[in-house]
Amino acid sequence: MKKILLILSITVACAFTAHAKLNVVATLPDFGSLAREIGGDKIDIVVLAKATEDPHFVDARPSFVVSLRNADVLIDGGAELEIGWLPPLLQNARNPKIEVGKPGRVQASQGIRLMNVPTNVTRAAGDVHALGNPHFMSDPIIAKAVAQHIAQSFSAVDAANAAFYDGNYKKFEATINAKLQEWGAALLPFKGQHVVAYHDSWPYFAHRFGINIDVFLEPKPGIPPSPSHLTEVIAQIKAQHVKAIIVEPYHDRRIAEKVASATGAKVVEFSQFPGGIAGTDSYVKLIDTLVSRLAAALK
Amino acid sequence: MRNFLLTVIAIFSATIVSAQQLAPSPNSTPTASPDVEELRQQVQALTETVKELKQQMKEQQAATTKANGSAPSSSPTTEESRVAATTSPSPAATAAAAHFATEDAAVVSSTSSSSPNVNANGTAVAGNFPTTDTSVVSSSSETISSTGTGASLTQPISIGGGGKSYMNISFDGVFALAGSSARDLDHIEVGDHDPQQRGFNARNIELAFDGAVDPYFEGFANIVFKLDNDNQTEVELEEAFLQTTSLPFNLQLKAGQFFSAFGRINPTHPHTWDFADAPLVHGRLLGPDGLRGVGAQISWIVPVPWYSQLILGVQNGRGSTGYSFRNPGDGGMFFDRRTTDRELRGLQDFVWVPRWENSVDLSPTQVVLAGVSGAFGSNETGANSRTQIYGGDFLYKWKSANAEGGFPFVKWQTEFMYRRFEAGRGMNESFPVAETFHDWGLYSQVLWGFKKGWVAGIRGDYLDMEDSRFTDDFERQSRSRISANLTWYPTEFSKIRLQYNHDFLYENFFLPARDVDSVFLQFEFILGAHGAHKF
Repeated sequence: MKKILLILSITVACAFTAHAKLNVVATLPDFGSLAREIGGDKIDIVVLAKATEDPHFVDARPSFVVSLRNADVLIDGGAELEIGWLPPLLQNARNPKIEVGKPGRVQASQGIRLMNVPTNVTRAAGDVHALGNPHFMSDPIIAKAVAQHIAQSFSAVDAANAAFYDGNYKKFEATINAKLQEWGAALLPFKGQHVVAYHDSWPYFAHRFGINIDVFLEPKPGIPPSPSHLTEVIAQIKAQHVKAIIVEPYHDRRIAEKVASATGAKVVEFSQFPGGIAGTDSYVKLIDTLVSRLAAALK
Repeated sequence: MRNFLLTVIAIFSATIVSAQQLAPSPNSTPTASPDVEELRQQVQALTETVKELKQQMKEQQAATTKANGSAPSSSPTTEESRVAATTSPSPAATAAAAHFATEDAAVVSSTSSSSPNVNANGTAVAGNFPTTDTSVVSSSSETISSTGTGASLTQPISIGGGGKSYMNISFDGVFALAGSSARDLDHIEVGDHDPQQRGFNARNIELAFDGAVDPYFEGFANIVFKLDNDNQTEVELEEAFLQTTSLPFNLQLKAGQFFSAFGRINPTHPHTWDFADAPLVHGRLLGPDGLRGVGAQISWIVPVPWYSQLILGVQNGRGSTGYSFRNPGDGGMFFDRRTTDRELRGLQDFVWVPRWENSVDLSPTQVVLAGVSGAFGSNETGANSRTQIYGGDFLYKWKSANAEGGFPFVKWQTEFMYRRFEAGRGMNESFPVAETFHDWGLYSQVLWGFKKGWVAGIRGDYLDMEDSRFTDDFERQSRSRISANLTWYPTEFSKIRLQYNHDFLYENFFLPARDVDSVFLQFEFILGAHGAHKF
């Protein structure tokens, strides 16, 4: 009994010291990166999904329940990307601070107009998201809006540091605004070119920089590439003189390599998430890397 | 010249966006409406000017596009509608300008009520962003559940056409084609939703509902339709319960009809199982339908740095879903005793189900979860007969750091159960003896998801039922089993599974030993809401 009391009191003590910083949970590493930009050393952040794994299928680990139970702020996509694993975690976490509608809950897709909203929802079309394509963070302009949303949430929950969060947001905004000039210029020569991707994760990036990423190795979202579909893709690549095939860390690179060797296109490793590929520990570095890799492949 | 035009357009669009936000505001009172009207007219005028300017600009752009010979970046219809919706220049047009656009109202609708300031270059500069929570909530209310602000933990799901719904609905059908060397497959397979006859079986066709009830509760229901061996439809209210969302002190209350939180397999629905049938120990100690019933349950997440949860459930435990407890049995007989089938006398006649589970992450790719459970109550074989069941469970899972669709993975799950069953002398002391059965068993299974959509599994089962000279009930026969299967998940909404079982039934005082070989081809489909995967 004494031991239990001791453990409990230590835990309570830990909880109090931990409260000096804002406990932030981000479902995905891209939200985590923005939270770091805004929160700096005023927050403790836990990112649930790994940068290298498929964000559609993350295990709802019990340890995530503990993180969510302690969270002051939860940042999720809000566009059903995490629907396969987040709901049971939230049911078990019983944390009213991060309920939808509370200042401690940032649903990143709020205020974002999602692309490719299906007019007719049918799973015959594969893993189609009814609310629209949820891979919206690859557009830096959207990332700014999400960062602003995060800053507002942090300021609401931790008013004492509101000026700090706001200042960090403005810094981030200025960085992105300046960087957009660079990125735009780097990809301008390739405007209108066609690029192949393994999965339809890149419509926002494509839209921003005027690249056409509209042919996919997957015949339908979430459906593994079939030989007959790959034959079609190879024909398309040849007809459109496609130079680059985008794969993500969790995709089967061998399939992309096969298509590349049959066509002369290059395989370009992309990631939606900071940390998913080498040297991308922040959002800005990630977009830097994506832009320079794509520009190099399209040259 | 183009720069100047763009700047003008950007300023006008910003004004219009903010004006549009003002116009439909529910806060506007009748006295304010003339102002609004005036504002509208101004906006109208501005819109027309913008349209004219845009037309000019489009012509210019068309000229440059022709000159450059570059194709438009996305399909014309989408681009058109996106532009029309927001009256902002398309990024393709802005990209051609000297400055790359840093704002795009086509993709970001302002998250705050104030519109961003724009400087002379047409690039946005940071405005004064509100620091209160109301701006976060109010401007983004469109994506919040219609049950009210802060109402739901589950997000509303689009069903049948993309509209939002108060309730998630899904339909799940599990079927099996069975072949067996035994003519009495219903004696070999221990679970009620397992294949129960040679040939085709449809024993778990399930309707599931869930959603936020109000800001305080979530509701769940599972209704199972089952075809018996004579193709008659049976309906089971498998689960229907509500659960609190915001109790203080990490507490959660659940009430209604639900599966008891005993072990790993019992609280889950058969279609989520990794094998086509229930483990022997589960079917024989907790019952063919699992342990479930009407009751209430409280759970507490222990405030320690790892995952630790204490659960206490209390249920009626009456009937076949309280198999080892107040179960009158088939035809009023259980273990050959005439059962008492009495009303509840007091707290001791409930089934009390405590559980403690803990989990830690061994590494970013490895998780273990271990739990101990108990189920305590009385049974119907005597006036004061008691049943105690103890269980321990263990789960280890590894999943690749580069998992696609959740593959590859390795999962090892083991459960052990022990039951002390006081078999009394039946109704009116009609049975010759009272006995106490010490029964136990375990299963251990390894699943290997070796490729996206493909899982191979192997399972070992053992069941030790105490020998008795007074009952020839086939459910008291000790046995073991080895199973192997291969499952293909074309998507997470369908599966096809081939499974082989070899059963060893051991000789006891009444029953001879025998071996049984069975093969099952199981198939499943899911319609409707995207079910989340519990760990």
